Amino acid sequence: MTAARESIYLPVLFLTVALLAGFRPGAPLLLAPPSLFALVLGVLLAVVLVRSGALDPLRVMNSSREPLANMNGFTVLATLFVSSAQMFSLLTPDAGLPRVLFSVYFLTQMLTTMAAGPDRVRALRSLAVIFGAAFVLKFVVLDAVSDPAGGRLARVLQLLFEGVTFGTLTQEVHHPAAGYLAFVTIGLFLIGVSLLPAGGGAPLTSRTLTLREG
Amino acid sequence: MVHVSEATIRAAGLGITIAYAILIGWIFARQPATLAEVTGGLSSAVGAYRVDPQAFDDGLRYFRNDQFAEARAAFERADPAHRDATTQFYVAYVFYRQGWGRLYSDDDLYRQGLEAVNRAISLAPGGRLVVEQPGQQIRTADELKAELEAGLRRDASDFDPRRVLRPRK
Repeated sequence: MTAARESIYLPVLFLTVALLAGFRPGAPLLLAPPSLFALVLGVLLAVVLVRSGALDPLRVMNSSREPLANMNGFTVLATLFVSSAQMFSLLTPDAGLPRVLFSVYFLTQMLTTMAAGPDRVRALRSLAVIFGAAFVLKFVVLDAVSDPAGGRLARVLQLLFEGVTFGTLTQEVHHPAAGYLAFVTIGLFLIGVSLLPAGGGAPLTSRTLTLREG
Repeated sequence: MVHVSEATIRAAGLGITIAYAILIGWIFARQPATLAEVTGGLSSAVGAYRVDPQAFDDGLRYFRNDQFAEARAAFERADPAHRDATTQFYVAYVFYRQGWGRLYSDDDLYRQGLEAVNRAISLAPGGRLVVEQPGQQIRTADELKAELEAGLRRDASDFDPRRVLRPRK
């Protein structure tokens, strides 16, 4: 990995993702910080990336590097963590039953991905599918169901859902720009993750970490 | 082609990252609602923010003539970033005068006035704001805030018939 990528491109990209993911156009709180649960999911995602070899932390921080290079490596890891948490925050609905369901969905997905121990390519593919599915559910399906100005079918569905779920399923309708912004943010995040310094190709286990340190 | 050493790139990258992170942290903490508030907040942080004096004078003239919408538009033009305590005081004052009624006050306008006067207090040094103008009955942000809060409060005094005799300040 080049010095420019490690010290400039990746931190700036991840910070931009953190900013965009927190941006809620049209909402009373324009910039939302990550929730506590999103921080936990951010940690789990970091673990998934390390175990799959998509991120080799020893390539950006180790005792043989210069202090300045280690500082750059630290900024990569820190900004990756913050942007990961913000990504989960962005893709989780703001309230009600969907918030709980999405949180459980992300948690189980992270845990099953971790348990499956995929390699780098499979982990990145899995991440894209997880985020893509959450994007479609939140910004397309839930928005359509919650939109009071939607078509007749949407209104019928909305009434049915509200009756069945006691109004816990419908959400605040997003600003028209929110979905596009989220799409771009997901894209940027996935590009950033794919540019991370990868391991040797094989999934990184605690044993390989110990061997490399040795 | 200019050759830049790796250490220079790394140092520059670290500087850029820290500056960008501070900017993002500041934006999250301040929650600016518009781009004008972002640029105004940044320029006031370095002491470069200035209120448009012409627009402010226009706003004051409209305010004295009870032209409330015009006054608010002029004050918004004068202080688009909402960073000037005096202008925000007058924005709140406009909401107070417009929302004031002999029998009841307009809660929505009073609430907006309260937001503006709180903003003015937070911007004033030490939270103390005195605006001396001839013929003006409310001269401090604290008085204005008390008037707005009293208008929003629901209590027994709301049913006092002498209420209709109270003057608008």
